[in-house]
Amino acid sequence: MNDLNLKIAIAEPSVIVRSGLAVALKRIPGIHAQTFEISSQEFLANYIKLHKPDLLIVNPLYWGTLDMSKLKDEAGHQTLRCIALVTGALDDNFLKQYDEKFSLYDSVDQLRTKLNKVFEAETIEPDEETDTLSVREKEILTCVVKGQTNKEIAQSLFLSTHTVITHRRNIARKLGIHSTAGLTIYAIVNKLIELDDIKKDL
Amino acid sequence: MFSNHKFNERSRMSEIINEDASLLLTISRFGISLGFGDKTVKEACEANNIHCKTFLAVTNFIAEGNVIVHETYEHISIESVINYLKNAHHYFLTYKLPSIRAKLMEAVESSDQSEPYKVVFMKFFDEYFQEVRKHMDYEDRTVFPYVMRLLAGSPDKKYKIANFEEHHTDVDSKLSELKNIIVKYYPSKGHNYKMNDVLFDLYACEKDLALHNMIEDFFFVPVIEAIEKKNNKS
Repeated sequence: MNDLNLKIAIAEPSVIVRSGLAVALKRIPGIHAQTFEISSQEFLANYIKLHKPDLLIVNPLYWGTLDMSKLKDEAGHQTLRCIALVTGALDDNFLKQYDEKFSLYDSVDQLRTKLNKVFEAETIEPDEETDTLSVREKEILTCVVKGQTNKEIAQSLFLSTHTVITHRRNIARKLGIHSTAGLTIYAIVNKLIELDDIKKDL
Repeated sequence: MFSNHKFNERSRMSEIINEDASLLLTISRFGISLGFGDKTVKEACEANNIHCKTFLAVTNFIAEGNVIVHETYEHISIESVINYLKNAHHYFLTYKLPSIRAKLMEAVESSDQSEPYKVVFMKFFDEYFQEVRKHMDYEDRTVFPYVMRLLAGSPDKKYKIANFEEHHTDVDSKLSELKNIIVKYYPSKGHNYKMNDVLFDLYACEKDLALHNMIEDFFFVPVIEAIEKKNNKS
């Protein structure tokens, strides 16, 4: 299974808390976190507009007046998720506009669970997901590598184009390979095809 | 101003390298060559005619590894950043990528399936190389000249730096795909010294390219946007 890649902005005035959270986020298995630290509110809006992070973690004790929907509107970034970093007693009403909250004493595992929930990531353990292709997927992969279009593949295998597309998506996810040139390498290396089969397309 | 950062004008150049060897690339992209003896940052920059504050801003940005968004970069020299980016493009296109290509070729040639492997791996790499070249050429030929005209006070009416951001696609996703293919699916026996070497280079190159993109995103685009905004108001 491929890691969840997240661009995360941490808005918190304390450098110790901010950098500490950044380090903790980088320890979470299955998540590749790229963190950006924001120390003062005046840079926040512009940063979000310019860099469109996936997630914003804010300490509402300091910046509780922050209006998230206004922030999203102004940045033109509706898919931004927001997590409150709670460092003290706080009224629940304060936290309504956040997708989730982190407490100062959350473990790395708790952070992981909460992040996966917010990003609706598949919660299956990495080793439960199989990377092996089914016979059907191998057939389709061979056709793709030979240069056939989705429609041609559908016709020759008596499938709907929609099914072919679904299979292709699963192949790309299982192998972590998205380009045709990459799939070609996979097919050659695993002897699904011979070089002669694809010579005309090279 | 720089007291908050790891390195300042009085830091020794050798100290910077010892902290993080990847900063060697940064230093050479600014046009400072090895053999700086006991020179401080200030002395080395003056000797090589380099804008010291820009040098420090980029070096600290890379050395601290953690992006902290709290500074406006008004004090940096855009010309120096452009120069730095151009040198980096030159390094990737004329040196680093061709060198990885040659090593990859050598590694697959020593496998037992040399002919088919060579064909498919080289096809993949060359497609990737083309993509990177297209991306960097676009910056060299379109973006940088636009910015130079903007700085000279005669901006184009149509072009905006925002166009560049849209154009700024992930060139490094293909590189990680290649790494992935080799790590997971490359069948080989024995010690694999050559292929490991290729992998090390790919990892280093990926990191370097990601940093390069970050410098564009944090030092270049925001400063240009600020200038555009100012021009619009006046």
